[in-house]
Amino acid sequence: MVSDPHSATECADENAIISRIQADAVELTGGYFVATEVDDPAWGDDWAKGATETRVPFEEVSVADVLKAEPRLNPKISRAFKVQDGSVDGWQLVWGAANSAKQYGAQILTYHAVTKIERDGDRVSQVVCTDVKTGEEVRINTNFVLNCAAAWGGQIAHMAGCPDVQVVPGAGIMIAMNHRLTNSVVNRLTYPADGDILVPVHTVCIIGTTDQKADDPDQLKIDWDEVQQMMDCGELLVPGFRKARAIHAWAGARPLVKDSRVGSGDTRHMSRGMSIIDHSDRDGLKGLLTIAGGKLTTYRLMAEKVVDAMCTQLDDPRPCRTATENVPGSESGKNYVITHRLEEREHDRFEEQILCECELMSRGMFTRALVQQPKGSFDDLRRQLRLGMGPCQGGFCSLRATGVALQTEHIDIERATGLMRLFLKNRWIGIWPILYGDQVRQTALDNWIFQGTLDVEHLPGPTHEEVV
Amino acid sequence: MTRVVVIGAGVAGLVAAIRLADGGARVALLNKGTGGLQLGQGTIDILGYSPDRVERPLEALQAFAQANPRHPYATLDAECVRAGTGYLQELLGPALLVGDPDVNLQLPTAAGAIRPTALVPPSMAAGGCVSGANFVIVGLRQLKDFYPELVAGNLARTDLPGGGRLSARAAMLDFPAREGEVDSNALTYARALDDPAYRRRFARAVKALVGEGETVGLPAVLGLDDHDAWTDIADQIGAPVFEIPLPPPSVPGLRLNRALTARAKTSGVRMVPGSKVTGFRASGGSVNSVQLAVAGGPRDFVADAFLLATGGFESGALHADSYHNVHESVFDLPLRIPQGHLVHGDYWGDPQPLFTLGVETEPSMLVRHPDGDAVYDNLYAAGGILAGATRWQEKSGEGIALASAVRAADSILATAASVATSQGAAS
Repeated sequence: MVSDPHSATECADENAIISRIQADAVELTGGYFVATEVDDPAWGDDWAKGATETRVPFEEVSVADVLKAEPRLNPKISRAFKVQDGSVDGWQLVWGAANSAKQYGAQILTYHAVTKIERDGDRVSQVVCTDVKTGEEVRINTNFVLNCAAAWGGQIAHMAGCPDVQVVPGAGIMIAMNHRLTNSVVNRLTYPADGDILVPVHTVCIIGTTDQKADDPDQLKIDWDEVQQMMDCGELLVPGFRKARAIHAWAGARPLVKDSRVGSGDTRHMSRGMSIIDHSDRDGLKGLLTIAGGKLTTYRLMAEKVVDAMCTQLDDPRPCRTATENVPGSESGKNYVITHRLEEREHDRFEEQILCECELMSRGMFTRALVQQPKGSFDDLRRQLRLGMGPCQGGFCSLRATGVALQTEHIDIERATGLMRLFLKNRWIGIWPILYGDQVRQTALDNWIFQGTLDVEHLPGPTHEEVV
Repeated sequence: MTRVVVIGAGVAGLVAAIRLADGGARVALLNKGTGGLQLGQGTIDILGYSPDRVERPLEALQAFAQANPRHPYATLDAECVRAGTGYLQELLGPALLVGDPDVNLQLPTAAGAIRPTALVPPSMAAGGCVSGANFVIVGLRQLKDFYPELVAGNLARTDLPGGGRLSARAAMLDFPAREGEVDSNALTYARALDDPAYRRRFARAVKALVGEGETVGLPAVLGLDDHDAWTDIADQIGAPVFEIPLPPPSVPGLRLNRALTARAKTSGVRMVPGSKVTGFRASGGSVNSVQLAVAGGPRDFVADAFLLATGGFESGALHADSYHNVHESVFDLPLRIPQGHLVHGDYWGDPQPLFTLGVETEPSMLVRHPDGDAVYDNLYAAGGILAGATRWQEKSGEGIALASAVRAADSILATAASVATSQGAAS
């Protein structure tokens, strides 16, 4: 059986759509579901039945064939199914959608925190927010608001005076390993549990994930126990996993809509299907729809559904075209392949310096992104460029990014120095929870560089610490 | 003749090996990779922060040791550090090392911080950050690890440790190390600047950027094997010049490494680079031999004494597994492990306990069980493997390494001498 049948079908359909319209964010890796030595192989029959019913294409393959394709997988695997799967760069996905929206005239205000949604009688009239980079208040007049704030959806609805929208943050950690242990997505063939997926993304692979009910989506912790749990699961899939090198960890919150059928402590089995809440029915407020639940793969479909609902309410019906229109950057329809950057550097290596060797990021890539986001922090740029996301975790590129940013004259010396300090601090958030093995060695080298040779702790003090 | 095996070719291993060989021992130095000197700033730190900025390091050591009773400096006192740094100065001479162990210089870093350090290559000495100094910091377009705007910008806005301000401006030079190369590292430039003809063109180009009365700050790439390259450049420019250390590869560190390696060979040290020590034999409370993994199978190195100078986590001498069990990689020695969590999340906060982990020694540098007896009667340790210091924060790495290397070498030689005397008396 498949525990979330509706979601499984949607996923399979959307998988194909996203792979096409956002080709540059998706690598078609293919994938396997494998029963490890502790999983019941008979469960595979239930899984296969569920997959057939939900029209998810699959093929049962021999363990020998899986091991031929993925030689690092555990030879004690008892059963395997091959599926169409891919790996998604979440940031690239967001940028593709954002750039498409901008082409249609959208204005996107990042680093703007919503503080209040004003109403005029029984209708939404204004969204009030604060530009967190400048502290300025911004008021946006509107007669319709789509609340797509995911794990923060309940907080946003509350600001419009619609209390008790129950979006429970289900926190999960993920750990990036320093290279690809497999080249396909590998799922455990078992009832959804913690640590059941290994995904190759760019130069790394990511193991996920746990599921802990969190109180506040802004305060997600990465416990050592959870890291250990991931390691144990990794070891089941790839023997020797614990000796591989973990380079970074992070946590995210699933926006799970509370479902009365399951206990509130078990977030994994709450609906990951999407729900649209019409606040005119629920709270007597017109012009506000909240969409919650869903998952990354179905994000486009969620957008389609909620915008269609809005268009109906505004009596402005139009067909949705997002499933057929490639976003900017994906016009060619060619999917991402891991060798992209290697090819680019082959072409420009006589003209361009490489600022980040781990991720093959050139100086030109960095300066072009800086022109687009002159007020961006190095983390903002990182999310476009993968600056500092490789094995050295910023050990060599942080100083270079700082120097180049200063030379482009977008920022002054105080901001440049502050951004370097902030970047080092932020990288550490994801390093210390998984600091063991060879990453300790890397960290010692990075510390020798930044604290030893460069003495960054004793740079002249900022008048204020950079926070964004 | 006593036989000694030294493991590790950082500053501690090299200096101890030379002192042992010059003291009459037969020494083999085993090292897996190039030692740590090429990764550092290429100067000799004793104590830079305690945690406030230190002006007179040897004077500050006693109070520092009292405040940190488990620090290596608690047993390696100021006299011991003076002996260590003095010995290194003797080995290298003023062409490679100048300064006074009693006084810290305050020198610019490639991020524009002002860093305290004690002994320096003469090529860095003109970089003292004192009130009224007038610097032009010159970068090279093709060298991505040095940004003069960052250095000059931060230096110029710093209230100097001794009071006042200095003036600093940035200038950029488009000057490839090799024809058509846009992405050259420090070593490529250093090799190019060993060539007098390239150096002349380089000096001419820099000279055009220098104003009246300015001291010229350049990235630390001014020659690798030619130790006079920097003075030649300064003469041709007609202004004082100083080098600023870069992230690895460290050219000033490599110069020290090469000089000490050559000196060790002259002293008769048998250098065995490129292989890893993978095992050892011990009996009766003594280490008898270590095994080196070489082509054709492990090879035994028998000795009367062994000196472990393998460094810390950065070199792989210490390794923490995924359960946070930490092991010393050659002898699996007992380690002093701090209580509680080994790592915390505050990047700018207190030293991480993990990095203070290491081996404990008796005053002779014989490795001992934490707060206990010696592990073996002939196994010594020196340098980065010693517990209790966060060297990169304190700026204490070379001081600890030199003091412990000299102490360990002298202990080994003294033991050999007393054994020889007692054997002589018995015969």
